[in-house]
Amino acid sequence: MKKFSMLTRLMMVVFLAMAILVAGCGGTEKKPEPPKAQKLKIALVLPSTIDDMAWAQSMYEAILKIQSTMGKDNLELAVSERMGRPVDAGAAIRQYATQGFDIIIAHGAQYQSVVKEIAPEFPKVTFAYGTGFQAGPNIFAYDPQAQDGAYLMGMLAAKMSKSKIVGIVGPVEAGDAVKYNKGFMQGVAAAGGDVKTRIAYTGSFNEIVKAGEIAKTHMDAGADVLSGTSQQAVGAVKAVAGKPGTYWLSVDMDQSKLAPDSVLASQTYNWEKVVTKMIELRKKGTLGGERLTLSFADGMMEIKYNEKLVGKIPQDVKDAIEKTKKDIISGALKIDVSK
Amino acid sequence: MADLAGQGIFLGIIATGLRLATPYLLAALGEMFTQRSGIYNLGLEGVMLMGAFFGFFTTWVTGSPYLGLFVSMIAGAIMGLMMAFVSVTLKAEQGISGIGFSMLGWGLSGLFFRLYVGGITTIEGLKPWKIPVLGDIPFIGPAFFNHHFVVYLAFLLVPVSWFILFKTNWGLTVRAVGMTPQAVDTLGGNVAATRYQCIIIGSMMAGLAGATLTVANAQMFMDNITAGRGFIVVALVYFGRWSPLGILAGSLLFSMADSFQLWVQVLGIDFPYELAVILPYVATIVALAVSFGRVWAPAALGRPYERGARG
Repeated sequence: MKKFSMLTRLMMVVFLAMAILVAGCGGTEKKPEPPKAQKLKIALVLPSTIDDMAWAQSMYEAILKIQSTMGKDNLELAVSERMGRPVDAGAAIRQYATQGFDIIIAHGAQYQSVVKEIAPEFPKVTFAYGTGFQAGPNIFAYDPQAQDGAYLMGMLAAKMSKSKIVGIVGPVEAGDAVKYNKGFMQGVAAAGGDVKTRIAYTGSFNEIVKAGEIAKTHMDAGADVLSGTSQQAVGAVKAVAGKPGTYWLSVDMDQSKLAPDSVLASQTYNWEKVVTKMIELRKKGTLGGERLTLSFADGMMEIKYNEKLVGKIPQDVKDAIEKTKKDIISGALKIDVSK
Repeated sequence: MADLAGQGIFLGIIATGLRLATPYLLAALGEMFTQRSGIYNLGLEGVMLMGAFFGFFTTWVTGSPYLGLFVSMIAGAIMGLMMAFVSVTLKAEQGISGIGFSMLGWGLSGLFFRLYVGGITTIEGLKPWKIPVLGDIPFIGPAFFNHHFVVYLAFLLVPVSWFILFKTNWGLTVRAVGMTPQAVDTLGGNVAATRYQCIIIGSMMAGLAGATLTVANAQMFMDNITAGRGFIVVALVYFGRWSPLGILAGSLLFSMADSFQLWVQVLGIDFPYELAVILPYVATIVALAVSFGRVWAPAALGRPYERGARG
């Protein structure tokens, strides 16, 4: 490049830039556009990927279902994946807000502070994040009542454990992981039989190799029913699948396809209902300010048994779980996570 | 009874620690060659991810984990070739180009996974291979001699690397190129070729290390499955003073501490999990701080070689 003078090089760059601009604009023709119905634009910010078979995928698929119900012309969905670091997520959220998106969902407990920081600058945009409970004027906080489902899972684990040791593979002691673990331990205690619960954390939501190692360590130390939250749980599911005779209880999504002989049951959320509620509230003029819970009572949380293994669960156990679920719905049983 | 249980836990920690150490050891031994020749390869994270993906993908498609491991080394070699071109021929700033390759590997592996696999998929990877006779020794056998093939390979490569680096002509050339490339060049040696070879070897081993995670340990692939291990490997090479034994010590210290904290957590010993999780890193930093002796880095590390240039 030394042969060209500074001026020549500058001209080359300018010509190149202009050529790119012309090529980019030249193709489209401007036709007069017919006035179209108001298209709802939703943006989804995810800590992992849409195919993580857990937290992110379940929300993504829920919104796709809404899109197919409403029609693709009426709902536009944009997704930002791998936003594990809240700083990156903040940049994406801000960009969506300036691009005129109606609802921006930051799907992760770690996004609370970044959403609270950006929301006041865009008062006409609806922001949402979860697991969380602190709402704002234009912020919805959605709060899966993980501890309720966890209680039932804990009961199931305690009853199905032959070694009387159950293990939890945890990510970080935050968000729905903490609620799940506390609910689970209480469920185990309620089932009786002196079953011990052990918990170990990887320190991250995304470390599937570590999650598998913790599962293996739990099993080496005697646990035969395991459970755990976050997208890294798939690593633990695989480890459990490698040792016949051990069971896994899934959270966020039905993971029985991954290990049909090991996943006993799954606690799933009906994100579709909560997002639909947000859309409806926004249509009526409520841009935020509410804490939306996902629980058994409003049908947004379910326990799904694995069809293949459901026969292994004794009927009295299933009955006890059903009865406890009714108690939770009626309010007779409240699971306390403050301790 | 308590004694047996105690022994069981102790051996459990060792078995887990050896398994955890394998990817670090493999990649660090490779990076040792790279850095001994004078090049920093901070792109290891990306190389490991590419190796992890291609190892997983090949195993998934062909059903053979060994073929998967082999292909992961080829993927590593290709990444290494690119890094070598950028660092040696184009003489780019190694730290920055390394980070660029890390991002390239992360992005490409995630993209290929999305395009050609689609979702979380498990594979039948390596099965543990019990060494006959040795594996039957009570207590010690299961802890040391019932592991995946790559674990044995990684530990065997320690004496092999030591021999190659310190007892062969080629190893001498590598060390000389990292110390005084001008001298090697003057005597008719080929600095660039040696560096290319070392970077490619290092990347092949990093690719294999990445495949260890997907083919042996997790037996599945996920975006960013390495979670920063590639950068820890670079630190381990420094910790090990660019010598195979030092790297072995560093990898074992880190991984045994990690295994220890996992068992501490699992057994419910009352200890804040946040502290447990950082234990391996703290142990390594403390070990670095208290270790004696000056650190002799390869003198030309990080400086592209240009014939005729000053210094």
